[in-house]
Amino acid sequence: MWIALFCLSGLGLVASLGLGLAAKRFAVEVDPRVEEVERVLPGVNDGGCGYPSCSQFARAVVEGKAPVNGCVAGGEDTALALAEVMGVEAVIGEKRVAVVLCKGGREESKTKFTYRGVENCKAAVLVSGGDKACPYGCLGLGTCKRVCPFDAVVISEDGLAVIDTQRCTGCGICVKECPKGIIQLVPIGKRVSILCQSGEKGSEVRKKCDVGCIACETCVRVCPFDAIFMEGNLAVLDHERCQVCGLCIPRCPTHTIEARDGPFPPVEIMADKCSGCGICSMICPVSAIEGDKKEVHRVLEGRCVGCLLCIDRCPKDAIGIEVPINSAVELASR
Amino acid sequence: MKRLYLFQGGIHPSEQKFSQNSPIEELKAPDRVVVPLSQHIGAPCQATVAPGDRVRKGDRVGQATGFVSVNVHASISGMIRGVGLFPHPLGRPLPAVEIESDGEDAWTDNLKPHEDYMDLPPEALTEIIRDMGIVGMGGAAFPTHVKLSPPKEKPIDTLIINGAECEPYLTADHRLMLEEAENIIEGARIAMRILGVDRGVIAIESNKPDAIDKMKGLIEDIPELEVLALKVRYPQGAEKQLIKTILNREVPFSGGLPMDVGAIVQNVGTLSAIYKAVRFAAPLIERITTVTGSGVRQPKNLRVRIGTPTKALIEACGGFSSEVGKVIMGGPMMGVSQYSLEVPVVKGTSGIVVQPFSEVEEGSAQPCIRCGSCVRACPARLMPTVLGVFAQLDMFEEAQRYDVMDCIECGCCNYVCPAKIPLVQLLRYAKAEILTRRKAA
Amino acid sequence: MAELLLLIVGVTLVNNFVLTRFLGICPFLGVSKRTETAVGMGMAVIFVMTIASVVTWIIQRTVLTPFGIEYLQTVTFILVIASLVQLVEMVIQKTSPVLYQALGIYLPLITTNCAVLGVAVLNIQKDFSFVETAFFGFGGSLGFTLALVLFSGLREKIALADVPRVFQGTAIALITAGLLSLAFMGFTGLVK
Repeated sequence: MWIALFCLSGLGLVASLGLGLAAKRFAVEVDPRVEEVERVLPGVNDGGCGYPSCSQFARAVVEGKAPVNGCVAGGEDTALALAEVMGVEAVIGEKRVAVVLCKGGREESKTKFTYRGVENCKAAVLVSGGDKACPYGCLGLGTCKRVCPFDAVVISEDGLAVIDTQRCTGCGICVKECPKGIIQLVPIGKRVSILCQSGEKGSEVRKKCDVGCIACETCVRVCPFDAIFMEGNLAVLDHERCQVCGLCIPRCPTHTIEARDGPFPPVEIMADKCSGCGICSMICPVSAIEGDKKEVHRVLEGRCVGCLLCIDRCPKDAIGIEVPINSAVELASR
Repeated sequence: MKRLYLFQGGIHPSEQKFSQNSPIEELKAPDRVVVPLSQHIGAPCQATVAPGDRVRKGDRVGQATGFVSVNVHASISGMIRGVGLFPHPLGRPLPAVEIESDGEDAWTDNLKPHEDYMDLPPEALTEIIRDMGIVGMGGAAFPTHVKLSPPKEKPIDTLIINGAECEPYLTADHRLMLEEAENIIEGARIAMRILGVDRGVIAIESNKPDAIDKMKGLIEDIPELEVLALKVRYPQGAEKQLIKTILNREVPFSGGLPMDVGAIVQNVGTLSAIYKAVRFAAPLIERITTVTGSGVRQPKNLRVRIGTPTKALIEACGGFSSEVGKVIMGGPMMGVSQYSLEVPVVKGTSGIVVQPFSEVEEGSAQPCIRCGSCVRACPARLMPTVLGVFAQLDMFEEAQRYDVMDCIECGCCNYVCPAKIPLVQLLRYAKAEILTRRKAA
Repeated sequence: MAELLLLIVGVTLVNNFVLTRFLGICPFLGVSKRTETAVGMGMAVIFVMTIASVVTWIIQRTVLTPFGIEYLQTVTFILVIASLVQLVEMVIQKTSPVLYQALGIYLPLITTNCAVLGVAVLNIQKDFSFVETAFFGFGGSLGFTLALVLFSGLREKIALADVPRVFQGTAIALITAGLLSLAFMGFTGLVK
């Protein structure tokens, strides 16, 4: 038994000495934090951070070259975890989602020719810019769907790419890969978008598509926050200024403006709190509130567009609204 | 006469040269032309005229920008109606100059003919070629003065005069060789003087025996020129393949050019244009275009002014014979399908092929069965099936390693594929992506 | 000399460690997605197997048998192999970080790879001489590398094919490995 113990220990000692020497000879500097960071990352290698792989981003973070909130796909949780590993404060930006700025599907828009070829937008664009008559239109062949690492794109029956905002992480790959360049990243709370990118004259747009922007400038005039301006023949929405009131939506003659994630819910006046001052009725831009002085006011069915101006101004806090979670976050920050 | 065919691969589609016996017919100058500012490979021109200006035939309307660029000229006399975006054979509106005719078709008097052109130094000849807007008339429209100015490190020993016209349906070059043979030969002599070579080979496919005989007859007293008959095989007329057939030299892969093996290839139409530019100071304002296909009533070879809308050509050929399927600008293998008849004829428009609806192929792509037909057919010695899969899976690095950038987009793979896979489009997609990524890097 | 050549042919082709003896399947399936990494792994295995063969033989003949502690064979052999693999890992990390990244966890997996332990034990079982042991170890690792490189080539091609969803990934890889095994059965009877 002693011999066995002796032999085994002897071998072990020789081996460890050898390895110890070798370790010194072949030493490589590796920051242990790189492994920690790598473990926290989603590991999808989507490239949204600007680096080709998660391990490279991890190395960049530890070397101080990349910010801790650089992983867009990982979102808030990842940024906080990375900040902990690196021992710094995390700055959280608002989450952004991608929106395809075109709603002219096969029904609404015309084609120049019959296309028979590769079912890929980038390949189709090589053939006279794609078969859609409007050069800014979504071709609906699914390049964005293929490149999305989170499976957040759906091609509708009408032949349009639509982004599922629940799955979208705002990594921005589709924005880069769309050959028409019509996908935009917008803050998730900014639910209103003008779904057209056509720079052509209104008369041209009318010939090619029923729902394209014809530059009538109605939305520009209607917006109470001056959030829409004209860029050539196209109406553009400034998301910084937009307060998501939704007033522009019903006024657009071609229905080009839409709100994501559901319609705007109507407000409700709580009878027990209302003093009948009538301020809400006066400021309502769509005349959706009526009532006599000193009487409880009420909201007219189907009129309210959810601009929420009345909630702001009611002195008795008598107006409330049932909101989906996202808007609640947004309301709270107003 | 030995019939040469040395390059690997290629196909032999039905020749359909039913317009080869129609002599060239002059198409009357139209009332309105649209002269695009980009009709060539290289930087587009800058317009040198404004709406309201009066121009005469041959006046410059667009100035070349940079070395790889040539001027464009007015092809009719009249008034500039507009300078802006107009339909273009490439499929999207591009800058062009619109000219409304004044009915006089008068030449400008700013031109300097040269009777003793063979005494001019090569640099002067090249300058004239550039000024007169000469580009490759075989279809590619590469600026000719650039082709004729290889760098000194690349010595040239042979000029190949390309009379192959391997695309089915097209007969413009054939008729040119029969009716303007002397111009072609003089143009060849000018080009050979510029390049400093003493050997010129006129390459003609053997399905044009009358052209071969005509050429042979004319060059009897010119020892530097010879005629070689080629076996009928598409794409015999493609540069690299032609050089392999005639000189048995291979242009290197990965961006090699004919000048790397000491040869320069010029189309017969280009050479005729060179002669006219040098001798008569004629800018490139017209060309021979074959209007053909079973979709037009009377196929013809027309001499048309640059900028004539396609519909004028179709009308001159009796109009459509039945419901139209495709209107192809160029040949059926490498031409570009058009969706508007307003598109003007440009310098590289060798033909307009009209396919009736009944002839257009139906059906969509099936899975690849690994038959290898495309590999056998590829004249550039590539493997289209593998490259196609790489393109579909977005594996562009691998595609580059398998030499997708050397694809000449001839269409042989598409033609032979039994599964009807759109190989040319896939390869073009891969090439476009690789170029985009190179630029971004 | 002829004997030794036959020995190598036998262990490389006829009784291939991976395809006939079914040892070392883990790195075989894990590292064979790309040919470059497969070659790198093969080189590492050649080094480890050959040296491990020799060193374990020496220890068996000089320590274990004379002292009558053959029952410690498994433990000592694993000790030797583990140390060797550690050494190889260090060298690769220093000399080729790219390969190190690419191999990932499969590098230390050579340690628990039954093929290496298998070759060491087989040497003792077959009562080989020193030279025979060296050749056997070298040949075995050569066979492993051969199988790995062949398989990676096949897998690269399969990645381009339209595999039905049910078979995608490991499933088609295992089926292919089985077919490759069948192919290697053709060598049966080559060496008596």
